[in-house]
Amino acid sequence: MNEQDPDAELLARIDGREPGAVREMVARKLPRLLALATRMLGDRDEASDVAQEAFIRIWKQASRWKGGQARFDTWLHRVALNLCYDRLRRRQDVISDDDAPEPVDQAPLPEDQLDESARSERIAAALAALPARQREALVLQYYQELPNVEAAALMGISVEALESLLSRARRTLRSRLAGERGEHVFGKERR
Amino acid sequence: MTPERFRRLTEAYGAMPEHWPAAERAEAKALLAQRDPVVLAALADARSLDLVLSGHSVAAPESDLVRRILACAPLAPARQEPAWKRPHWWLSGAGLVGVGVAGIAAGVLAISLTGSIYITPANPPSLFDQTGESTVFSSATADWSDQ
Repeated sequence: MNEQDPDAELLARIDGREPGAVREMVARKLPRLLALATRMLGDRDEASDVAQEAFIRIWKQASRWKGGQARFDTWLHRVALNLCYDRLRRRQDVISDDDAPEPVDQAPLPEDQLDESARSERIAAALAALPARQREALVLQYYQELPNVEAAALMGISVEALESLLSRARRTLRSRLAGERGEHVFGKERR
Repeated sequence: MTPERFRRLTEAYGAMPEHWPAAERAEAKALLAQRDPVVLAALADARSLDLVLSGHSVAAPESDLVRRILACAPLAPARQEPAWKRPHWWLSGAGLVGVGVAGIAAGVLAISLTGSIYITPANPPSLFDQTGESTVFSSATADWSDQ
């Protein structure tokens, strides 16, 4: 990797105990970490714990970080994903990609209650119902906006396998979200 | 790029060109510019799902979480002000000098008092004077073996 790691300089400043560097790292990485963990776990409290644990690793790693191998952000994603999978395993929530996911109990809501927050919750529920690897692929590629090569490397799979997981994830989400609410969730006009 | 590949691309990566693989982005955009109905339909399908997925928001980190994380962070070294900038720096020096002087004075006093004991002619036997016949350990009265 020839590109300069965009986090290398900040890590050096943290290692040098520069005032403000720690806060800058928190501002830069915490929202992304929290979003990743929240979408992987579907639980805000657990996601917060994961983010905190990930930051403890960052503080330890700052003095030892050597550029030239992986980007710091990629390493951080791997750390956070490992922490998420530890929790998912504890919940025995990991479903193999070949297993049919459990349907989520979602009682229909009146149309006028489908506000922004409710819509977000419905998507969260649909995400949570995905098999873990499909969810991971979608979260990394769509929400975290990692390049496909990087997301595939993080997951330890080929780009073709990543595409397959993404296609299945999107197909499942489309049918689940369209099926339960009608086509209006896809931006079509309400009846 | 074929329309079929474009459809598979959008089914996997969605409708946003910045989400497409860098190696295929230019070709996909070129195909899109041809306004092929199949390609446009694939893009519209992907866009509708993107729109739904973008509705999932994650709240900003709570201040308590930020506090917890900062509490675990490596601490910045305490800033040392130059001695001349510290308030009343001379007081601490004066204090040290004062303690030193007091110690010397106490030592001189102790020596002079001890010396006066040896100089006084009517010096009473000391408890530590082991040269005499009677000591605290050799007194005949301390023999309790017959009792």
